[in-house]
Amino acid sequence: MTEDASRKLKELTAGRPELAALADEAMAAIEASNTPDELESARVGLLGKKGSVTAVFKGLGALPPEEKRVVGQIGNILRIAVEAGLSEKAASMKAAETEQRFLREAVDVTLPGRRPALGHEHLLSQVVEEATSIFISLGYKVVSGPEVELDYYNFEALNQPAYHPARSLHDTLYVSRKDPIRESPDDVLLRTHTSPVQIRVMESEKPPLYVVSPGKAYRKDEVDATHSPVFHQIEGFAVARDITMGDLKGTLEVFVKKMFGAQRAVRFRPHFFPFTEPSAEFDVSCFGCDGAGCGICKGVGWLEILGCGMIDPEVFAYVGYDPEEYSGFAFGAGIERLAMLKYGVDDMRVFYENDMRFLRQF
Amino acid sequence: MRVSLEWLKEYVDIEMTLEELALALSMAGLEVERTLTLGGGVSGVVVGEVKEVKPHPGADSLMLAVVDDGEEVTEVVCGAPNLRAGMKSPFARVGALLPAVTDKPLKKARIRGVESSGMLLAPDELGLSDDHTAIIELPPEAQVGVDVHEVLPLEDIVLELEITPNRPDCMCVVGIAREVSAISGAPLKLPPVDLDESGPDIDGLARVILEDPEGCPRYTARAVLGVKAAPSPAWMQRRLTAAGMRPISNIVDVTNYVLLELGQPLHAFDLDNLSKNTIVVRRATPGEPLTTLDDMERQLDENALVIADADEPVAIAGIIGGEDSEVTDRSVNILIESAHFDPTSILLTSRRLDVRTEASARFERGVDPGGTAFAAARAARLMNELAGGQVARGVIDAYPREIVGPTVPLRPDRANLLLGTDVPRETMAGILKALGAEVEEGETLSVTVPTYRRDLVREIDLVEEVARIYGYDRIEGTVPRGGGFDAGLTLRQLREAALRKELVAQGASQVITYSFMRPDDLDLMEIAADDRRRNMITLMNPLVETGDAMRTTLAPGMLRVAAGNINRGNKDLSLFELGRAFIADGDEKLPREVETVAMLLYGDIVPPEWSQGPRPSDLFDLKGMLENVAAALGVRGLEFETGGEPFLAPGRASRLTLGGEVIGYLGQVHPRVATGFGLEEDVFIAEVEADPLLDSALARVFSPVGRFPNVKVDIAVIVDEAVQARSIEDVIRKSGGALLMYVRLFDLYRGPQIGEGKKSLAYALEFGSAEGTLTDDEAHAEMDKIIAALVGELGASIRGREREGEPT
Repeated sequence: MTEDASRKLKELTAGRPELAALADEAMAAIEASNTPDELESARVGLLGKKGSVTAVFKGLGALPPEEKRVVGQIGNILRIAVEAGLSEKAASMKAAETEQRFLREAVDVTLPGRRPALGHEHLLSQVVEEATSIFISLGYKVVSGPEVELDYYNFEALNQPAYHPARSLHDTLYVSRKDPIRESPDDVLLRTHTSPVQIRVMESEKPPLYVVSPGKAYRKDEVDATHSPVFHQIEGFAVARDITMGDLKGTLEVFVKKMFGAQRAVRFRPHFFPFTEPSAEFDVSCFGCDGAGCGICKGVGWLEILGCGMIDPEVFAYVGYDPEEYSGFAFGAGIERLAMLKYGVDDMRVFYENDMRFLRQF
Repeated sequence: MRVSLEWLKEYVDIEMTLEELALALSMAGLEVERTLTLGGGVSGVVVGEVKEVKPHPGADSLMLAVVDDGEEVTEVVCGAPNLRAGMKSPFARVGALLPAVTDKPLKKARIRGVESSGMLLAPDELGLSDDHTAIIELPPEAQVGVDVHEVLPLEDIVLELEITPNRPDCMCVVGIAREVSAISGAPLKLPPVDLDESGPDIDGLARVILEDPEGCPRYTARAVLGVKAAPSPAWMQRRLTAAGMRPISNIVDVTNYVLLELGQPLHAFDLDNLSKNTIVVRRATPGEPLTTLDDMERQLDENALVIADADEPVAIAGIIGGEDSEVTDRSVNILIESAHFDPTSILLTSRRLDVRTEASARFERGVDPGGTAFAAARAARLMNELAGGQVARGVIDAYPREIVGPTVPLRPDRANLLLGTDVPRETMAGILKALGAEVEEGETLSVTVPTYRRDLVREIDLVEEVARIYGYDRIEGTVPRGGGFDAGLTLRQLREAALRKELVAQGASQVITYSFMRPDDLDLMEIAADDRRRNMITLMNPLVETGDAMRTTLAPGMLRVAAGNINRGNKDLSLFELGRAFIADGDEKLPREVETVAMLLYGDIVPPEWSQGPRPSDLFDLKGMLENVAAALGVRGLEFETGGEPFLAPGRASRLTLGGEVIGYLGQVHPRVATGFGLEEDVFIAEVEADPLLDSALARVFSPVGRFPNVKVDIAVIVDEAVQARSIEDVIRKSGGALLMYVRLFDLYRGPQIGEGKKSLAYALEFGSAEGTLTDDEAHAEMDKIIAALVGELGASIRGREREGEPT
């Protein structure tokens, strides 16, 4: 009953104790109902044909006019209050019942969820994407090249010297080769790195060029924990006016720190590659020991991540670029190595065995 | 390459700590892969003399050595091939500490029934090297019983360096010292080569005829007469041993020692075995025989450069010596050859003959042509010092055309521009001078390169030298501007990535396999002889275990991955691979590389779970996955036609077409084929060319979305078994007109209610319009057209036709 109704009723029933009692009993009957059935009998007992509130209206005819008006008013207030009380009570019963039902039907939330089949992208594919996206953010485009390649693109135009062991049947998988000792630019082989893409792009496009090229490469290596005849690399190069070795260093610092975390220290160290001059290797501080020396880094404190350098003028000569006009850098990183270092994979074979227990981990 | 720190310090003062030195070398391009401490912690080892050698009663391969260690005479068991009475060798007494062998003191041992009280030691047991082929022979003057440390310096630090192929000059101790000197500024101290030339004039002793100055641009020789062969002194043995060489005798050891010291391969001839004391450097005549030091009789051809005497070859130039002219313990007069050979000529001969030696490896990489005389003098001096005799006066130096280092201009501005640095010109000049170059200063530096740096011929090579010694770590990192318009992925490349992601989204896991196959995989798959997949690229020199052809289909690889997983207990598989197939392309040199998607299902697609039962995968799971991928990419017009590949089960095979072109297949692998790959249960496989899918995926356009609810109607179509689902759907779509928005088959029923040879397909149809809500009459009019077409074109009877929600 609203406060207004309650005050008014009190006012009107003053001196009419039987009606005051009726009002109290009515509200008490509603309140005392515990089930929908009891509530229904309370309703019948109050508002039914023979109900006590109905009786108030029935008795009006016998009252004098002044009394009739007051008692009628009491009856109305009471009826409205009873109706409101009934529906309020019904609603609260229903709400309580809903709560009860959930409690009765409580589920074990620790049961496993019903999971739609979950596919996994191969870790190498994920690492390729991670590496590629870093270079895309630095303004590179992505180009791919053939895996079965001519000696010209794989060795000759990359300034690989004649008779180099890499150009032998011992180290490289050949499709055709004119002479077992002397190599020819027409020999067909499985590319031993992704660097031929450099030549193919430079041959057909003009600087400025900012290119990365991930893909498979092949070498005549027997399978073991650290060797695989098939592996992946990501090649990158930039050629424009005034590209500097500082640009190479800065670019790879961004790459390594984005790939392995900004807290990693990096080291840029002279090395040799036939297709770059000056050449360098890029090291990252060891994950195992942070530079102090441990088993992972063989005590050196650093892990070699990739090879790089300024594109050799001989390479520019092959593609008809003037080395006085353009300069450029190039780098190549092994995807398996990046994956092994970043995710702690200790055996290269797992990448190609494709055991579901490996695939599911990433 | 391994360099002894103690040896290195003979040529350059090193004030840096070991760590500093290692870092400095690494940062200058001579990467220190690790540092090793050798021979530490040895005790209880003395000079022992072998008094007597007796057979071992229990083993033919073992001997008993009676050893005097200065305090007592004991018997030890020994299996070394060089064991002989009278030799002196390091002897570990009982109780000795040999950390390279064990961390416990040496105990008495019974070996094949005989007690052995101590041990004669090989280099590895003292931690000197990995050599375990023989026991160490100490010089005869070593005093029996003294601690081995007094005659054999055991402890040393060795730097293991990676020498890049462009730096053959660093393959010797002096070469490394030169680098250390350039880095630290400490002067290089070359070893002494001054000689007491007390012998007769060399011109009367030997003659060199250089017939092939191209193959041999320089031939330097010195003679030492009246030498006496003996074991080398301990310090030399120690250094040879640490470098992995076996000491033989003072004369041979000197040639090896100078090789390690100066990088110049030397050869010692027994002068008395050279016919007419003559050396002829010439090409072999075809078929000319030579028995080489490795005991092989070789037939030479006219490409092989030989060192001959007046009659016949005595060595293959720069590669290996001949047996007949070999220096022995009886040799007294020695001719030292210190020559320079053309790298390519050595490389080709070494490859043709399949002989690789320390000398050939060095000549192939390039040896300093300016250093032969110095090395010859150094060897003569050492030989004289260790083996006595007299050094002949003078030197033979056949050097018809002097090889000089090139003079290369270096523009300091250009160098700074390339490096992104601001290195002063004087600093550059100083660096180059420290590396042994002569520098004439001016606007442009004019740099004359020493002959031992044959890698420095261009300006850019000098730029690298400057950067290397200046320090790569002092170059400031910058990031260039990037490719602008060209940067980023093309839309096509985004689709490629989407293809991979959508396959994963279907619950499939990506595999990556080798790109090889075995040609008989195609036989196993029963692929016809004229099929394009028979156009294989085969490898000349394949790896045995991986197959010798490039794959023309991804199927064998997928089936093997499946079989491998099943063998390891992973029995429910949903896999895909994205990779290339390689199809030989007629006269083209290179094959066509076809980007291909392969998919495979095996076992349960729904695993047994607490809330739902397991369900084995079937063809329609695979088809649905592919349809989803196509839908997600926006591929239109992908069709699945009946029939297909020989390796698929009949009635369970589909050809995939797009725009009328066959782009792949899908189906159940025929059990006969599956068994061939080790798969015993149902396998479903699909293979689709990626390019047509991606090309088609690019064409996507918006069609307006209706604002009004669609009218939904279900219909059951009863047809003969032979009528394919696709033709029913085609008829519905064709006859349904513009208001038909959606068609979905939701039930397939066969049974007595509809009769033998018939099937009922129930479709949910939705009609709608962008203009407004359709009336029932409008929808029914469309339905009438569809029903008429189904009846007329397919002989169908229509069973249900019901508005959703109202029973008929």
